[in-house]
Amino acid sequence: MDAIEIDNLTKYYGDLCAVDHLTLSVNNEIFALLGPNGSGKTTTVLMLTTLLRPTEGRASVCGNDVVLNGEAVRKKISYVPQDMAVDIKLTGRENVRFFADLYGVPQAKDRTDEALAIMELSDRADDLIRTYSGGMRRRLELAQALVHEPSVLFLDEPTIGLDVAARKKIWEHIGTLRKKGMTVFVTTHYMDEADQFCDRVGIISRGQIAALGSPTELKARLMKDVITIMVEGDCPSLPVDGIEFIGRTGDEISFSAENGREILPVLADALTRAGVRVRAMSMREPTLDDVFLQAVGSQEEPHGFEYNKFRIMLRRRK
Amino acid sequence: MNGVVTYIRRDFLKWTRGKVAVISSLVMPAAWLIFVGLALPVQFTGNYLDFITPGILVMTMLSAGLAGGALLMFDKILGFLNKFLALPTPRESILVGKILFITGRGLIQSTIILIISVLIGATILNPIQYGFTYLVLFLFGVLISGFATTIALYLDDHDSYAAFNTMISMPLFFTSSALMPYSVMPAWLATIARLNPLSYAIDAVREAGTGIIPVLPVGILVVLCAVMLAICMFVFRKVTV
Repeated sequence: MDAIEIDNLTKYYGDLCAVDHLTLSVNNEIFALLGPNGSGKTTTVLMLTTLLRPTEGRASVCGNDVVLNGEAVRKKISYVPQDMAVDIKLTGRENVRFFADLYGVPQAKDRTDEALAIMELSDRADDLIRTYSGGMRRRLELAQALVHEPSVLFLDEPTIGLDVAARKKIWEHIGTLRKKGMTVFVTTHYMDEADQFCDRVGIISRGQIAALGSPTELKARLMKDVITIMVEGDCPSLPVDGIEFIGRTGDEISFSAENGREILPVLADALTRAGVRVRAMSMREPTLDDVFLQAVGSQEEPHGFEYNKFRIMLRRRK
Repeated sequence: MNGVVTYIRRDFLKWTRGKVAVISSLVMPAAWLIFVGLALPVQFTGNYLDFITPGILVMTMLSAGLAGGALLMFDKILGFLNKFLALPTPRESILVGKILFITGRGLIQSTIILIISVLIGATILNPIQYGFTYLVLFLFGVLISGFATTIALYLDDHDSYAAFNTMISMPLFFTSSALMPYSVMPAWLATIARLNPLSYAIDAVREAGTGIIPVLPVGILVVLCAVMLAICMFVFRKVTV
């Protein structure tokens, strides 16, 4: 039995399909759900944490169905939402103790101290939260989440709005939790973080999994070098043989090729012959960004901003 | 039950750390008591302070309840509610804890107002009379905090709720039997006052003060509380899953 099993999970907000028949299973790893804003990451997490009822399909956490057996699910999980919600008029210790009491943890006092120590907050534990930095508040939330030793930890954008050092620290802590045997399910839109710190990533686009695997695996699927060119105006989609189109963002077009060094001059010639003005060319090893671009396709929004759908979504999310 | 106590403790700690809020919530009822209770020249009673004190006590509960209505809404807007809902603690304890906290806070404020009223010359009652006074204030507190929480959850917006709060608190107070008996009110006002739930609470406290056991008003308040809690629970369930 996997820690998280998702089967055809679907959520509609009115006509808007936020999560579209998602099937996935996660066990004993740091799994990142990766995707642009509005791709259905948070909706998925809300359904898995029993905060939102799926329209269709089912999901289970530690063998308990999220709809039928919500309370059993909630005993096994911790959830840290995107917006930092800690009581600023209470001290760090009080904030964590509050959660320990709510979970009904035995020896709540010791567990509180322990959780604070794991998150390296012991020396500031008796200060009011209003004196804490953003990174410390996030760590405090993690301390709240692990005070009852959950089997599965859900983190929605755990590093959003934090500086580089604080992010690194958060990820190191997440790594420690993973080593203790916790399954960690994070959502993020920072590719580099997922690449560096996660065991497996699922790229989600318009509510569907577009690519799934370990970061190395996904990059290996591209395997080839990535050539990026900047052009003025249009460009034939496949100007020469031996290269593959990845995606386009604005003026930048990316291709992949087995041997980038040799293809580069050929491509330059071909483009010049085709009358395309090339402003810059570059070549590098693939990153998760490229995997993402290839999986999600063009990052340009085809329909623009659909205000009505957005409003329906906001209203339902309340 | 454990969850309820924990939620109440959190709100209570947060409340006591905001010194300004603790003091300022007492200023208005105290001012009414002193400036109106002691100063208004009325003919229908010898001790106006004794007459107005029940009204001011209920008003204290009213403003405490209306102010507390925003608490759950803020927990929701700021993301606390989602964290609480993902806990194994029974979800209803969030709501029950909130209503009991708001009511308890109102009772603490009412106690201070009651002490002030005695200090400036209100008649001291016997313990049974105080017991009934507190029972009525408690029931009224549950009623009004349930009502305020429901409205705030329903409006789901801080500005709208503040506007609603301002809109109803004064009219509710003035159309109740807080300031004068039904006999001296104009007929139209007396009709409104008899329908106003505030009047039930005020009359009940007043009856307790004169030595009558307020069975009927307490009964009505119990029924109103039950209905209000059912509505509140329904709205709470609706906004949570």
